Amino acid sequence: MSETLMTTATVAGQATTHHEEHGHHQESFISKYIFSMDHKTIAKQFLITGIVWAIVGGLFSVLFRLQLGYPDRAFPILETFFGQWAKGGQIQPEFYYGLVTMHGTVLVFFVLTAGLSGTFANLLIPLQIGARDMASPFLNMLSYWFFFLASVVMMSSIFVNTGPASGGWTMYPPLSALKQAGDGQKIGTDLWLISMALFIVSSLLGGLNYISTILNMRTKGMSMTRMPLTIWAVFFTAILGVLSFPVLLSGAILLLFDRNLGTSFYLSDIVINGEVLPNEGGSAILYQHLFWFLGHPEVYIILLPAMGMVSEILSVNSRKPIFGYMAMLGSLFAIAVLAFLVWAHHMFVTGLNPFLGSVFVLLTLLIAVPSAIKVFNWLTTLWRGNIRFTPAALFAIGFVSLFISGGLTGIFLGNSTIDIHLHDTMFVVAHFHIVMGVASFFGMYAGVYHWFPKMFGRYLNNTMAYIHFWVTMVGAYLIYWPMHYQGLAGVPRRYLDKSGWVNFNNFRDLDQMITIVTILVFAAQLLFVFNFFYSIYKGRKVRSQNPWGANTLEWTTPVNPGHGNWEGDIPEVHRWPYDYGKDGREFIPQTEPVSANESKH
Amino acid sequence: MQHPAFEEVTFQHHTDDATFKKKVRNTTILLSVITIIELIIGLLIYNIHKGESPNELLVLMFKGMVCILTLAKAYYIVSVFMHLGDEIRNMIMTIVVPLLLFIWFIGAFIWDGNSYKNLRNTYDKHYKESTMPTPHKGGH
Amino acid sequence: MATTATLQQTKWWTGGKSPFNMEYGKLMMWYFLMSDAFTFGAFLISYGTIRFSQNFWPDPNVVFNAFPGAGHANLPLAFVSVMTFVLIISSVTMVLAVHAGHSNDKKGVVKWLIWTIIGGAAFLGCQAWEWHHLITGEHVVLAGGKLEVIGQSMRGNPWGGLAPQEEVMAALQNTSHETLLQLSQMGHHGASATADHAALTHDQLLNSIQVADLHVREKGPVAFGGYFFGITGFHGFHVFSGVIINIVMLLMTQKGVFERRGHYLMIEKAGLYWHFVDLVWVFVFLCFYLI
Repeated sequence: MSETLMTTATVAGQATTHHEEHGHHQESFISKYIFSMDHKTIAKQFLITGIVWAIVGGLFSVLFRLQLGYPDRAFPILETFFGQWAKGGQIQPEFYYGLVTMHGTVLVFFVLTAGLSGTFANLLIPLQIGARDMASPFLNMLSYWFFFLASVVMMSSIFVNTGPASGGWTMYPPLSALKQAGDGQKIGTDLWLISMALFIVSSLLGGLNYISTILNMRTKGMSMTRMPLTIWAVFFTAILGVLSFPVLLSGAILLLFDRNLGTSFYLSDIVINGEVLPNEGGSAILYQHLFWFLGHPEVYIILLPAMGMVSEILSVNSRKPIFGYMAMLGSLFAIAVLAFLVWAHHMFVTGLNPFLGSVFVLLTLLIAVPSAIKVFNWLTTLWRGNIRFTPAALFAIGFVSLFISGGLTGIFLGNSTIDIHLHDTMFVVAHFHIVMGVASFFGMYAGVYHWFPKMFGRYLNNTMAYIHFWVTMVGAYLIYWPMHYQGLAGVPRRYLDKSGWVNFNNFRDLDQMITIVTILVFAAQLLFVFNFFYSIYKGRKVRSQNPWGANTLEWTTPVNPGHGNWEGDIPEVHRWPYDYGKDGREFIPQTEPVSANESKH
Repeated sequence: MQHPAFEEVTFQHHTDDATFKKKVRNTTILLSVITIIELIIGLLIYNIHKGESPNELLVLMFKGMVCILTLAKAYYIVSVFMHLGDEIRNMIMTIVVPLLLFIWFIGAFIWDGNSYKNLRNTYDKHYKESTMPTPHKGGH
Repeated sequence: MATTATLQQTKWWTGGKSPFNMEYGKLMMWYFLMSDAFTFGAFLISYGTIRFSQNFWPDPNVVFNAFPGAGHANLPLAFVSVMTFVLIISSVTMVLAVHAGHSNDKKGVVKWLIWTIIGGAAFLGCQAWEWHHLITGEHVVLAGGKLEVIGQSMRGNPWGGLAPQEEVMAALQNTSHETLLQLSQMGHHGASATADHAALTHDQLLNSIQVADLHVREKGPVAFGGYFFGITGFHGFHVFSGVIINIVMLLMTQKGVFERRGHYLMIEKAGLYWHFVDLVWVFVFLCFYLI
């Protein structure tokens, strides 16, 4: 067919086809790569910025893991790099808290929110629903640049004299509201709040675009129930963001007022350094309510896109229809609704009304139902499938494993009675890193390995990918599994040095082991980063339009689609995206009309 | 009739001038009347508070009435001024349903705020004594 | 899909069209407003939470009882009702502007937009007066065993309960000379009194002060001022940006941008924003002034 010919032509001469495709005006380097309004370029911008932040955030974790694993050891090289922050080669307390705070903030917001849904919502929404671009490409570009601005402010806060914000990524007052509380509470915290405000603007602009694009711009025949699960997932993600981020904005604005204008929203009855503060009548719990009203949906903002991509990738690579498409939709919806109703389960030990707490326990444990449905459906999708263990498929399977492990510990923590014992211990750290951090990273890696050919027209190197997967998979469990035991024994999180507790001394070797594995896993991620940038230029070229034999629309575009995605008309859709292994055919693309004698699914 | 600028829009709403103007005028009058009733209730509350022993239940009832009247005002602004009432059902639902989240949002926050007060009154006698209004302190 | 007859059978969700029969820009504006509703909701709910966590909260009728030019007359809720009407009327003029846009009536759009802008500006003026009045107001409070004269700020306000007479009498003895001077002047209005009082001795000053006239209160809950200025300020900021948007719309209309485009949908979006500002005020009015 001429399609294949055209594809080869596109690969051969990217630059020329670009202009021929749409008769677009001549694009300069700046309008094409920097202030680009093409959703694919914006997706790449989000991804690469996310990768840079992931390296920074990951490096921070390596640094504070060094402190946790080797509290009495000096590393002179640290002093070389960080000067007064690591006096005598030992990480100073202020530095430690700055590192922990920045690690959390950067990875939660900049990598797993912007880097994950920013990348894949932008890349996949127009491509998979059959649209030329986002509803408003201009706002989409603004969304990236607000994120960039937020990044600049956050990055600059690391370099101010008094250091970055150090109140923990949750930034609880009164600690974060009082400048006299410590170095990290000075300008660093203000910059943190400003950066978050900019980030919220970015996520709002992005989210509005994703929602209205998905609703309005679907191609003919692409009914809502014919959309791939990736799109459903980013759709719910965007809704969560649009409705919950503004609440954080309000909370942050009130905190800024408390810090700079002398108001008492969160402050009451405080004596600091012998000074009695005039603030009165505020409630620190109020901030936690506001924060977690965002904070809990936020963990699903992080997780849902990963779930969507994993569903898609598992189905494609096990060459089977996704099991229980409608159940998947229903559980996504249930998770999205419940996400808004359970925020106070982060606050069981704050002095929250115990009866109210028990309502939150009930709602929280309900999340287990849709989560279990999803796990069941993933496993049954794999069951007796003709699985191709591509790197993307491996990461998707890894995601399922991690989601199960981390999800089960969530049931422990969701019970207020058990939470009283486990709260603020390493158990919590282990739980949310597995279920939200590592699992979402696995979803993201699965997405990158799967759609890299679509993004750059080349493949990632498989050998490096397999090394990356196995080291990360084994490493993740080696790091976080032992932390559960530490937590059950009562080892607190966020502590710089636990050597004061004699009974925790027996965890020393364990802590060292965790630190060593952390460094190895970090190295494996650097291998991925190398693979990523190397393959952009030198990777194996994609020769066929549909390398994975997938049904969705993005594989009907040219290998290197220009701005506008399809060269001719936008294809029409005639079926759902999961017709794999049907009527003796390996896969039937969505664009193929349903023939008369086809069996029903 | 196809929309001039956007292919995704299927048809255009048309209301004739007179009906529309009448609707706007009626809504304006309605909003004004509701606001005046609200003000009257506000002044009633003020006068109850001025009295020797204010009937708190009555005040609460009046406040509840004001809240309901405000919701009615909000309904008319959204439905008529913002034309949501003229949109198709799908659109109305996509706006109204997410607003249901406010029920639990408001309920849980207020509940916990109230509980915070009760906890402090129970366990912090000084707080209770220094902040609880005495009969001659309260009101005007 | 032209006639209403086929409308009934329209399959809204099949793709290729908007399931809401709405172009994306208006849809985005609606969802933005939804998001903004959560911002304001969070502010007002925080206010409610703090209010419910206090044993005492000021009666709004005591706080908001002034009217420009009416001096010290006690006119509860009068001024804020003027503000509310101004905003409602400006909302009505905006509806008319949008309607004129629907029928491509450029003159009508210009006329009604101008009225809307005037309404918005008037509201902002009212708010500025009210803030100024509250901040510079002089009210006597009993704090720390002595009397002080303060206005309402983010850090404190004079809206506590009425202070017991005997405590006020005792506090009078500890009050600074300057404050006493101020107090005695507050009792007697007029410039001629000022000179006389300055000459009085401390004891004479004490005697000249009529405690009962001063309505001495205790300091009110600190959060009251913070939330009042914070939320009305945030709303005022929205009104301000709404006025700016409307001015831009006005200029674009006059330049014929929409005429050339063939539709006035931008006015419709600006209108949605403006009505939302009105809508928020309805709730601010409820939470701060009525209950």
